[in-house]
Amino acid sequence: MVLRRKTVLFALIVLGGLLVVAALAPVFIPFDPDALNLTARLLPPNPTHPFGTDHFGRDILSRALVGTRITLLLGLSISGFALVFGVPIGVVSGYYDRVGMVVMRLVDAIMAFPAIILALALMAILGKPGVVNVIIAVGMVWAPRMVRVVYSSTLSLRENTYVEAARAVGAASGRILLRHITVNLLSPVIVQATFTFAFSIMEVAALNFLGVGIPPYVPSWGGMMNEGRMYIIRAPWIILFPGLLLAMSVLSFNLVGDALRDRLDPKLRNAV
Amino acid sequence: MLSFIARRGLGMVLSTLLVVTITFVFMQLIPGDPASVLLGPNATPEQIANLKATWGLDRPLPVQFARYFVNLFQGNLGESLFHRQPVLKMIGERAETSVFLGSMALLVVAGLGIPAGIIAAIRPNSWLDNLLLLVALAGASIPSFWLGLMLMVVFAGKLHLLPSSGFTSVIATGNIANLKSLILPAFSLGFVNAALVARTARSSMLDVLRADYITTAKAKGLSQPVVIVKHALRNAAIPITTVISFTFASLVSGAVVTENVFALPGIGSLIVQSVLKRDYPVIQGIMLVVAVLYVLVNFFTDLTYAFLDPRIRYR
Repeated sequence: MVLRRKTVLFALIVLGGLLVVAALAPVFIPFDPDALNLTARLLPPNPTHPFGTDHFGRDILSRALVGTRITLLLGLSISGFALVFGVPIGVVSGYYDRVGMVVMRLVDAIMAFPAIILALALMAILGKPGVVNVIIAVGMVWAPRMVRVVYSSTLSLRENTYVEAARAVGAASGRILLRHITVNLLSPVIVQATFTFAFSIMEVAALNFLGVGIPPYVPSWGGMMNEGRMYIIRAPWIILFPGLLLAMSVLSFNLVGDALRDRLDPKLRNAV
Repeated sequence: MLSFIARRGLGMVLSTLLVVTITFVFMQLIPGDPASVLLGPNATPEQIANLKATWGLDRPLPVQFARYFVNLFQGNLGESLFHRQPVLKMIGERAETSVFLGSMALLVVAGLGIPAGIIAAIRPNSWLDNLLLLVALAGASIPSFWLGLMLMVVFAGKLHLLPSSGFTSVIATGNIANLKSLILPAFSLGFVNAALVARTARSSMLDVLRADYITTAKAKGLSQPVVIVKHALRNAAIPITTVISFTFASLVSGAVVTENVFALPGIGSLIVQSVLKRDYPVIQGIMLVVAVLYVLVNFFTDLTYAFLDPRIRYR
């Protein structure tokens, strides 16, 4: 338990740090992230460039810190996308059996496509690489997972006595859905949104790494790793640091998600 | 058991039909249409109309869907817009790499995940348990392609122990040593997924080890290995099997990127190339093959449960 508390504290510190960096990066980064310096190409980490430089002589530290912004922005937008579509569809499917039967079949079928395959196919349909297209493509991968979580929570919520009581006093279905069910979905939804955030930033990094995500001129962790591939043996630091930042962020979100799940659902506290 | 198989089989057929429908809808959503994509911006309307007529794209949607369906049954997944080859043939040529990579990664998943989970469960809350839990958590958070690149730096770049890229067919050359090229990719792919299996193996072993029949087995004087393997593991096997079958989708996703990192000629690198070239029929074909495989894996997982736990057959 003590270990767990310490790891959660670590995660919260990392996440707080990321937020500060994302908000203030342009103020305290040592170099212009896009400034080319051909005399300083492929420098290993040193006092001037703590994370080294890339093949254009750009400062890796500055680029990685600026990359925090786009990472958090995309993670937030994708989780938002999943929430906006997943919660209403999930609630209605869980409350009305007939809708549920159809929607859940479809959700299962969509989930038969592995995440990255679906995201790649959607990027191919949506056309050019770009922030909005990435949000839609990855969001459509994670929305069905949100639907599933909301659906199964609604199934058990609607059996509660207070829902029956509301129905008995003549509350309309809309009112029951909104005031008695959706409100109580808060905890599973928050937990799922946290995991969505973690997985989606990993998936976005994979898309950027493959060169089908956001355009390469926007500094992103996945994009930086893609550009560093050519120099992997000569200059591994180009890939090392953005990857470490990504792994630390994903780890922190997973830890917070785990902790929230244990907190919000006491039944699970001793399970894992 | 037969009725169980029949019920699950029906569900499987239904899921497959939905998957086929989704891949058909995918083709309808592409910007423009395949004929103009292939002929390029300089094509005349007549040329486009002619090609559309050859492919049946000028027919009503239900007719196109029926045709797509019939073609699938004849093993015709369409033709690549750029390579002018049947999609199924292209996927088939690249299947070997992906199958070997996936199987080796699965060995890593089971070989690392299950023992780690069991060891952690035998001494819960010990320093070893905590360490394994931390490694598992970290493992689940590392992008497999990044791990692959880092392993490449160490084992191929610095130590020169293993090849960093490429793969030559084992079947065509008969040289099993070619599998060496897959060790690094399979490890980076498997390690990340082993984390999930380890956590599940731990929690389901913990549940089982608290059961009365384990106390009885210990009271009879059986040695710990016998209790663990014969009494506990078999009962803890169902959640572990589920999680290992879940890793199928995650392994496929990981393989798409890993194959790219290690320049492996597999299905994963084919789909990325096809997305970059907007080769829609190939993308559609790979989506279909992978999703149908997923449905099949789920079906066989259900059958495995029924085999492992006879009670399930009657539910």
